[in-house]
Amino acid sequence: MKENKRKTVSLSMITYELRNVTGNPFVHIFGIGLPIFFLFIITRIVVSNLQDTSLIKTASTSVFLGISTIIPMAMILMGYSVIQSQDLEKGIPERLQLFGIKQHITICNRIISELIFLSAAIILYFIVGIIFMDLQTPVISGIIIYIFCILIFSTICFILGHAIATLLRKFSLTYCIVMLLYFVFMIFGGMMGITYENMSAPMQAVAKLLPVTYFNKDFYTIWTGKSYNFVPMLQSYLFLGAISGVLLFIALKKDRRKGNLS
Amino acid sequence: MENPELLQIENLTVHYGKDTALQIEHPISIRKGDRVGIIGANGAGKTTLIKSILRLVNYQGSIHTNLTMEQIATHMQFNEYTDTMPTRYIMEAILQTKISQDKKLQELISYFEFEDCLRKKYSKLSGGQKQRFTIIMVMMQDAPLTFYDEVTSGLDFETRQKLVEKMVSWYKNKDSSLCIVSHYYEELEHLANKLLILDKGHVIDYGKKDELFQKYCGRAVIILNYSKEKETVFQNYEKLASPAHLIALSCETEEKEKEIIELLLKHNMDYTRSSSDIEIIYTNAKERYSKQNSI
Ligand SMILES: Nc1ncnc2c1ncn2[C@@H]1O[C@H](COP(=O)(O)OP(=O)(O)OP(=O)(O)O)[C@@H](O)[C@H]1O
Ligand SMILES: [Mg+2]
Repeated sequence: MKENKRKTVSLSMITYELRNVTGNPFVHIFGIGLPIFFLFIITRIVVSNLQDTSLIKTASTSVFLGISTIIPMAMILMGYSVIQSQDLEKGIPERLQLFGIKQHITICNRIISELIFLSAAIILYFIVGIIFMDLQTPVISGIIIYIFCILIFSTICFILGHAIATLLRKFSLTYCIVMLLYFVFMIFGGMMGITYENMSAPMQAVAKLLPVTYFNKDFYTIWTGKSYNFVPMLQSYLFLGAISGVLLFIALKKDRRKGNLS
Repeated sequence: MENPELLQIENLTVHYGKDTALQIEHPISIRKGDRVGIIGANGAGKTTLIKSILRLVNYQGSIHTNLTMEQIATHMQFNEYTDTMPTRYIMEAILQTKISQDKKLQELISYFEFEDCLRKKYSKLSGGQKQRFTIIMVMMQDAPLTFYDEVTSGLDFETRQKLVEKMVSWYKNKDSSLCIVSHYYEELEHLANKLLILDKGHVIDYGKKDELFQKYCGRAVIILNYSKEKETVFQNYEKLASPAHLIALSCETEEKEKEIIELLLKHNMDYTRSSSDIEIIYTNAKERYSKQNSI
């Protein structure tokens, strides 16, 4: 009998998960194609409405930073939860577990693969931005905070996506819900034509609770190192993080009671 | 001397909501080298039994084993895999190997004629190819205890026979234990040496195939396809319970058997003689059990 010692993280499992994660064409369309498309369209619209040409750099950088949030939303919130729910519906985690691949191993390797894929997409987005857009050079603190924020936001998307998939366990339902969330985030985040300033008060109240809003509205200030009040933005991360955390807790609890995972 | 025990089941009960799917009162133990055929009608609890051993369902009672979950290999009744990549990559990830560098795996793949399926996605495989995909990986695990839940369901006659033939020769000189759920008794004639008979969640009997035969059918049985004429000819002979399309004549002694065969020759009738027929064991065990439990 061969000693079956599976490492939690292994190259073969990461390759497998990378194929899984990149195997869904929607992820490429919504996570890579769409943000780059939006970047060109929205920048053009915004710039053409500008009276003052000295503001072009500011406007394009602002749009560039805001649109970049579509990448984790599409890849993690949508992409991940969709493959996860599909797998759960088919009983694949259970099947893999019978082959000695524990569910936490699958999740670990999937997280790493998502991270690799996400980084590649963001880097590609930046390359396109740097080549084709007239972007403001950031200060060091600006770029560090950006990377930090996009990672935290991606993590929240992951927790939320995982919770939804685990709770619903159905591909169709999960797909509906995350698609809806994706558009809600884009609309309230100010990416679908209505900027924060033009929103009604109730809309603004919702928008304030979403991290996406701050990427669109304020990140240029952080990017260029000007003084900024971080409190509202921090609150939005805490709010969405808390909701996702609670959902995940409920999902895992329900799962454990059903006798799955062991 | 009996082989060491691998697994003991005692007082096992499984509920699905209000329904009781499985209730095993008397202890059952699976020993090293056992080839257990698990039989019973649809819904008898066969899959549920496997799932409880694998801890995939909640149960009351005790299932004791020193084996770790990694030492138990399982072909489930339904097996699904991701459709985002060709089966080759799924296989390599699950088995943590490279097909090009793994002699044993290459051997199994060609043994099951799976080469051309490696570049296809799982959902594009035929029913038999899907079964073989799981079987190859289960066999690669080389586990001390392996479950096969209806490996041959949905396969055509020829594919089924070939598959069983391959399994028989693969396990021939190995001392691994197998539990095989099947509705095709002729498969179990070759693959099993013990039988676990389930009905409506209860164990009707469990034991060595030949001992069960003796217990329920005696020394030997002569099986005829039913016809009115045969019924008249053998009306005064002792019969065993059998499905309606058969007549099962009990041969308690050699003399009795000779007498029956002479009669058969005289009337030019076809027959089968058996001292291990699973269908007849099953029918008689079930009948005796229901008699005992209705008193
Ligand atoms: N997940 C479930 N929820 C509710 N009832 C279930 C569930 N799984 C099985 N059952 C019920 O438990 C009983 C035993 O089912 P099981 O799958 O063990 O039968 P089986 O012997 O494997 O049958 P088959 O030969 O059709 O595969 C059946 O009555 C079935 O309806
Ligand atoms: Mg079954």
